[in-house]
Amino acid sequence: MKKTILRLLSLFFAVTLFPSCENDDSSFSNYALVTDSSDDDDDDVPWDTIYIVYDGTVATVANDIHGYVTASGAHVTVSATQSTSGMLLVLSGSTPDGSLTVFRSRKYSILLNDVSITNGSGPAINNQCTKSLIVCCTPGTASVLADGATYAQRDYDQKATLFSEGQLYFRGTGTLTVHANSRNAIASDDYITFDDSTHVDIVVSPTGTNGLKANDGVFIHDGTLFIDVASPGGRGIRSEARTLISGGTVTVNTTGDCKIETVDGVADTSSAACIKSDSLFSMTGGVLTLTSSGDGGKGIRCQENIEISGGVLVAKTTGENNNSKPKALKSDTGIIIRGGSLTATVRKSWACDNGSESEDPRDHITVSGTPALSTITKKSVIISFD
Amino acid sequence: MEKYQLTLLLVMASLLSGQVYGRSEGGLITGLEAEKKMTKKWTVGMEADMRTRNDFKTMDRWSVGLYADYKCLKWVKASAGYVLLDNHFSEKREDYISAASNAKIKWRPSYWGFRHRFHASFTLSHKFSNNIRLSLRERWQYTYRPLATPERYKLDVAAQTMKLDGNYVRGAKGKNQLRSRFQIEYDRKRSRFTPYVNMELYNSWQTEKIRYNAGTDVKIGRHHVLTLFYRLQDIRQADDDDVPDMHYAGVTYKFKF
Repeated sequence: MKKTILRLLSLFFAVTLFPSCENDDSSFSNYALVTDSSDDDDDDVPWDTIYIVYDGTVATVANDIHGYVTASGAHVTVSATQSTSGMLLVLSGSTPDGSLTVFRSRKYSILLNDVSITNGSGPAINNQCTKSLIVCCTPGTASVLADGATYAQRDYDQKATLFSEGQLYFRGTGTLTVHANSRNAIASDDYITFDDSTHVDIVVSPTGTNGLKANDGVFIHDGTLFIDVASPGGRGIRSEARTLISGGTVTVNTTGDCKIETVDGVADTSSAACIKSDSLFSMTGGVLTLTSSGDGGKGIRCQENIEISGGVLVAKTTGENNNSKPKALKSDTGIIIRGGSLTATVRKSWACDNGSESEDPRDHITVSGTPALSTITKKSVIISFD
Repeated sequence: MEKYQLTLLLVMASLLSGQVYGRSEGGLITGLEAEKKMTKKWTVGMEADMRTRNDFKTMDRWSVGLYADYKCLKWVKASAGYVLLDNHFSEKREDYISAASNAKIKWRPSYWGFRHRFHASFTLSHKFSNNIRLSLRERWQYTYRPLATPERYKLDVAAQTMKLDGNYVRGAKGKNQLRSRFQIEYDRKRSRFTPYVNMELYNSWQTEKIRYNAGTDVKIGRHHVLTLFYRLQDIRQADDDDVPDMHYAGVTYKFKF
C-alpha cells in the first residue's frame, strides 16, 4: 500500500511538470522588431494629460496641474507655450456654444472621446501650435465639431471648424463628423495626414468653403472619408501642394455651382471641384469616388500632373457648362495612368483634359503599359489594369 | 470522524463560495519536505515546492528552503527559516495614448528571477478533548527581489513595430509582510487522515491577499505524510493590478526521519 502510494505520487509529480511549459505572455509576433534609434521616443518625456468635459455652456477641467487651462463658459483656452512636457487633451461631453483654442510650441495630441462642440462664432477647435497636432478619435466613439455662420474677429487665424497652424494627423478608429457653416471644415497651414482607420464625415453647407484644406499637402494612407460640399466653388479637398492617396476609402460629392467674384471690376469664376491640387496629384492605392453635380464642377482639378498607378478612381461630373466646363479630370500638364483603374465620365465637356488642344480624346491621357481594359472617348474614359 | 470531516468541508465550501469576483486562474502546487526531530523541542527541515499558473499550463515558481522549529511550550511553537524562490514573473503590459501616436504599449515579457525570503513565526495551538485543534500562526516574512534587467519593449500599435528598451532596469525591492493564519483541524490519534481548514491573511499595512485552504494530511506509516488540499487565493490589493485570483490544487509529500 505504502509503496503503491509513493509510486503514484512520483508519477504524479513527473506528469504534472510536463504540461506546464506553455508561456502565458501576450503575442506580438506580428510586430516587426525595429532598432531605429531615431524612433520617436517622446513617450519617455513627462506627460500632462488634461481632461476637458463640456456640459452645455460650461466646461470642467481636470488634472490641469500646471494651470494651463482657462475657461469662459464652455470656451476653453490652453496656454502652454512654455511647456516642455508632452501634452494630451482629452475632450468629452457636449456644448452648443463652446470651443477649444490651444497655444503651444511643442507637438501634442487631442483625444476626441465622444465630444460634441459647436461654436457659433468661430472654430470648434483652433490649434495655434505650429508643430504636429495628432487628433485621435477614440475607437467606438463618435465626435462632432461644428462652427457658426459668422466668426468673431480675432488676432489669430481661424480658417476652419478644426483649424491647425501645424501638421494635422488623424489617428484612432473612432468617427469624427465636422460641419463647416462659414469656412473650411478641416484646415492646416501645414499638411494633413490620414494614416489610421479613422472615419471622418465632412459636411460643408452652402455658406462654407472647402472640406479639407492644407497649405503643404494632403496625404491619405488609410481611413474612410465622406466629404459633402454644397458651397458654390467649394472643394472637397483643397491642397495648395501635393496630394497623395495611397489607401483608404474617400468619397467626395460637390453640388455647388461656380462662384463668381468681381475683383477690381473683373469677374473671377471659381468652379467647384471634388479635389483641387496645386501640385502633383498621385494615387497609388485606395478607393476614390468623386461626384460633382454643380455647374462647371470638376472631379479633380490639378495644376500639375495627375498620376494614377494603383487603386480605384471613379470621377463623374453631371453639371452644366454655363460658367465653366465640368471635367472629370483636369490637369494643366498631364494625366498619366500606369496601374489601378480609372472611370471618368461627364455629361458635358471632357472626361479627361490635360490642356492639349487636340480634339482626339486619346491625346488627353497618357496610358503607360497595357491595361486589361481601355475605352477612351471624349465623355467617358475607362481604363483598368486589374 | 467522518461527521467532523464532512462538517469541516461544508464550512470551507461555504466560506469559499462567492469569494472570487475578478479574473481567476487555476494552478497546481506540488511540494516535497524532509523533517528531522533533533530533540524533544527542536525540529529542522527542508522543503521544496513548485507552482503553476495559467490553468496549470505555465510554470510559476520553484522554491527550496530550510527551517527550524522550537517548541517553547506545549501550545507554543517558534519557527524561522529561509526560502530561495525562483519566480517566473508574469508579463507586464501598459497600454497608453501618446502624443506621437494614438496607441502604444510598453511590454515586459515574462522572465525568471530569484527572490530571497526570510521568515519567523509563532504558532499558538490548543487541542480540545473532541480532537479539534485550533491554531493561530503569526508569521513575519521579508522578501527581497534583487535588481534585474529583463527585456522590455515599446510597441507602436499603428506601425506594428516593437523596439527594445535597452535602458530598462527593474529595481531591487524588499517587502515586509505579516501573515496571520487561523486553522481548525480534526486531529485524532492513530487516524490516517487529519483534515483541516484554514484562512490566512497577508498584511503589508493593508490586506493584500487572503488564502483559504481545505485539505487533509494522509499519514502513510511512521515516516510518510501526504497532504492534499485545495487553496483559494483571493487577491485584495496587489502591487500589480494584473495579478489574478488563484484556485490551487495541491499535493505535498513529507518524509519524517
